[in-house]
Amino acid sequence: MKKSYNYLLLFACVLFSFSNANAQISKAEIRATGLTCSMCSNAINKQLKSLPEAVDVATDLNTNTFTVTLKEGNTLSPKVFKEKVEKAGFFIGSLVLTTKAETIKQGAYVVVNNATSDNAEVQIQILDKGYVTEKEFKKLSKSFKNVETYASNNEDDFHIKIIN
Amino acid sequence: MKKIILLLFFLSFGLQAQIKVGDSMPTFTLKNASNEEVSNTSFKNKYVLVDFWASWCGPCRQGNKELVKLYKDSDPSKFEILGISVDTDLTKWKKAIEKDNIKFTQLIDPNGFDAKTALLFGVEALPNQYLFDKNGILIAINPTLEEIQNSIK
Repeated sequence: MKKSYNYLLLFACVLFSFSNANAQISKAEIRATGLTCSMCSNAINKQLKSLPEAVDVATDLNTNTFTVTLKEGNTLSPKVFKEKVEKAGFFIGSLVLTTKAETIKQGAYVVVNNATSDNAEVQIQILDKGYVTEKEFKKLSKSFKNVETYASNNEDDFHIKIIN
Repeated sequence: MKKIILLLFFLSFGLQAQIKVGDSMPTFTLKNASNEEVSNTSFKNKYVLVDFWASWCGPCRQGNKELVKLYKDSDPSKFEILGISVDTDLTKWKKAIEKDNIKFTQLIDPNGFDAKTALLFGVEALPNQYLFDKNGILIAINPTLEEIQNSIK
């Protein structure tokens, strides 16, 4: 009994360390939308900088994009960026993440564009509700009407498009 | 001891929130488009509208049109507009001044929301305007065009 318990513990440890090592987002590129000009407010910037995992927050005024560079080894969920942007009073127009290739092989990610990547780091776009504009979401809902999990809007799984 | 007091003084400055109606205008010196230093103390005994903006800020550029007109229709001996751009790209700033046909005082603090004057005033969003009376006392934050006109009459 004790032995099997030990094995279980070992198994849990291995599993835990695995999921930690693999769940890594190194960069998040966020385009925010809202009623007012997102770049004209310091709110999003402040929210993103408040993340302990954020190393740097840069803004590109030509593309209206906030780029967050993240600490190595973090276990952030894409959900964090949505929460931060919404806390600032805006919405996500698009969210592109650079992650380790292993990260998207986890259960939380569902690749919907049939693409694969051989790179060690992949660029993905999150396509779920709240991560694209309302208009785009309606369009995507039609395209993915056969993807059961897409319509269910579970906020802990992410439907992704591999870009690179 | 003196040093500690001085340090606390600067710390309190760093933590300062947005200036409030009734506060005196903070003093600052910034450069204009000709690279000359301009101090805001040179606008004594006039109403002064301090306008924070940037060339990439759409609503600010829209607002510039109104400010240009307001300035043209006002008495320069009584009223001055002090534009402060937080553009980091000076070329884009100068281009915007030219394009928007701005004739009032334009100064640059090229550091975005981290610009010293932006922190001094507590700027959190652009455009952001502060109207001071002849004694340099803040009488309105983000006043409407009408409010400005009524004040400086």
